[in-house]
Amino acid sequence: MKKIQIEERPGWRNYAESVGFNFHTFDGEAYWDETAYYQFSLAQVEDDLEAPTEELHQMAISLVSEILADEQKLTQLAVPEPYWDWIKQSYDSAQPHLYGRLDLAYDGTGPAKLLELNYDTPTSLYESGFFQWVWLEDQILRGKLPANADQFNSLQDQLEHRFANLQLAEPFYFSSVSNNIEDKGTVLYLLDIAQQAGIDARFLGLDEIGEIDGQLVDTENFPIQTMFKLYPWEFMVREDFGRHLLTSKTQWLEPAWKMLLSNKGILPLLWQKYPNHPNLLPAFFETAATQPLTAGWVRKPLYSREGANIELVDSEGQRLQVAGPYDDAPFIRQAFHALPKFDQSYTLIGSWVVGDSAAGICIREDNSLITKDSSRFSPHIILD
Amino acid sequence: MPTRFKRSSKAALMVMVPATTLMLASCSSEEPVQTAVYETAEQCAGFYNPEQCKADFAAATALHPQVAPKYSDKTSCEVDFGAGNCETPATAAAAAPATTNTTSSGSSFMPMMMGFMAGQMFSGGGRSNLQAQPLYKSGDDRSTFRTATNQPVSRFTGPVKVMPSRMVPKPGAAVNRGGFGAQAQKRSEQQSSGG
Repeated sequence: MKKIQIEERPGWRNYAESVGFNFHTFDGEAYWDETAYYQFSLAQVEDDLEAPTEELHQMAISLVSEILADEQKLTQLAVPEPYWDWIKQSYDSAQPHLYGRLDLAYDGTGPAKLLELNYDTPTSLYESGFFQWVWLEDQILRGKLPANADQFNSLQDQLEHRFANLQLAEPFYFSSVSNNIEDKGTVLYLLDIAQQAGIDARFLGLDEIGEIDGQLVDTENFPIQTMFKLYPWEFMVREDFGRHLLTSKTQWLEPAWKMLLSNKGILPLLWQKYPNHPNLLPAFFETAATQPLTAGWVRKPLYSREGANIELVDSEGQRLQVAGPYDDAPFIRQAFHALPKFDQSYTLIGSWVVGDSAAGICIREDNSLITKDSSRFSPHIILD
Repeated sequence: MPTRFKRSSKAALMVMVPATTLMLASCSSEEPVQTAVYETAEQCAGFYNPEQCKADFAAATALHPQVAPKYSDKTSCEVDFGAGNCETPATAAAAAPATTNTTSSGSSFMPMMMGFMAGQMFSGGGRSNLQAQPLYKSGDDRSTFRTATNQPVSRFTGPVKVMPSRMVPKPGAAVNRGGFGAQAQKRSEQQSSGG
């Protein structure tokens, strides 16, 4: 696995804005970074990333029915009890899922290690599925990359195919917090793909969702029959309209049962079921008896996002902590596993699944071991 | 050349390109129908038969408490329709000529009627498939006259063409809005809600 410098495409920022990529730069700092790319061999991609991704995904899916059958596990995952039956119903009726992203530590050799599952609201989708794809095509056309360079990225094809086959009632709504540029960009990308798949897809701001007699409705008060939401389940069930989820005749993407997998509590449960699996790191639920953090361990809240509230102590005893607002729920402990360092940054691989199929990777770099929202996104190629 | 690619065969965007306006094609073969929008019967009488204007205005006013969206409190209503633009059914009844009793509870709020759409005026002898009905204006758009189901009708008074299927009055539902989003606000407005 190599990191190689390359010339940026001239005018790429203007191009980015012309195709809706309005968050390529974040608070004046680069987010999309095409000054370098990563290079993998096909064997690395297929053997070390693609296959383990699908295996880890199946392992996670296999846990859902076990969690639903065990009140202790549901409690450990801090799933509010009034929603247990509803979640079970969404699983028993085989509500389909769309996608997810596994975060992996991988340096080109040895088994990739699962750090987290982002199975409810994974982001960086647009950059992964579209923008890095275009980057590759451009750089090949410009002669900066060989014509036989490939990329592990079939996200957009697979998403379109999956939307076309889901048989969703229309209109199909896409919702996110209206004034969050990054969220809206991600959701508009998915809406775009859904429309390309022939679906009557429409955007509806989260704050615009209404309710009549327990049924969620759009701005014209028509019932919302199907909705994709880029907003965490664990927020929705704790908000004013959470109770309407139980009564509204609405099919959700992601389905309610996915809430069980997008919770860091899934990491101890995976370790319990598959101890010493080569792609897993030891993980445990924190209890009142758990000792303070020691060298080689990471402390994570069940529900944090973008690195918030994570605390780690590396193998040398160096402590690193990110502040955040997610301190009101239980924590887990996971064994520390260093991200590989390329130049001055630490590199994290995000591995996508669409349905049950691996769909590609995205690469993010951060100056610290805890990858955050503002980390940089780097493209990659496959070349033997 | 590799025989099997690991990347998408294409990556097109339809919606995300700002310069493109995507019009969702209408599948219906419905024809638009002529009508008119006025704020009062008097305004209408300046252009059309005064008796017909009065009749349509009265019909719209009678429909108003039945079709207007209902809110449990004044503030929620004013969020959608603007400060000072909401009333109770009792107030509406007091102001309206010869309205029959309303079916809504006295403690609900609804937007005030801002105008009306003519019904039978343009039927030319036959029955129009348009019903005279009240019109409203939203808080964030003070020019557009809209039906109670939030269908935009016109930004001006006077003649206008509409699609009858979109102008069918329905009983006004008690609608609540905005019940999702508080947690994200609490945790940070600028941070993505995703991961």
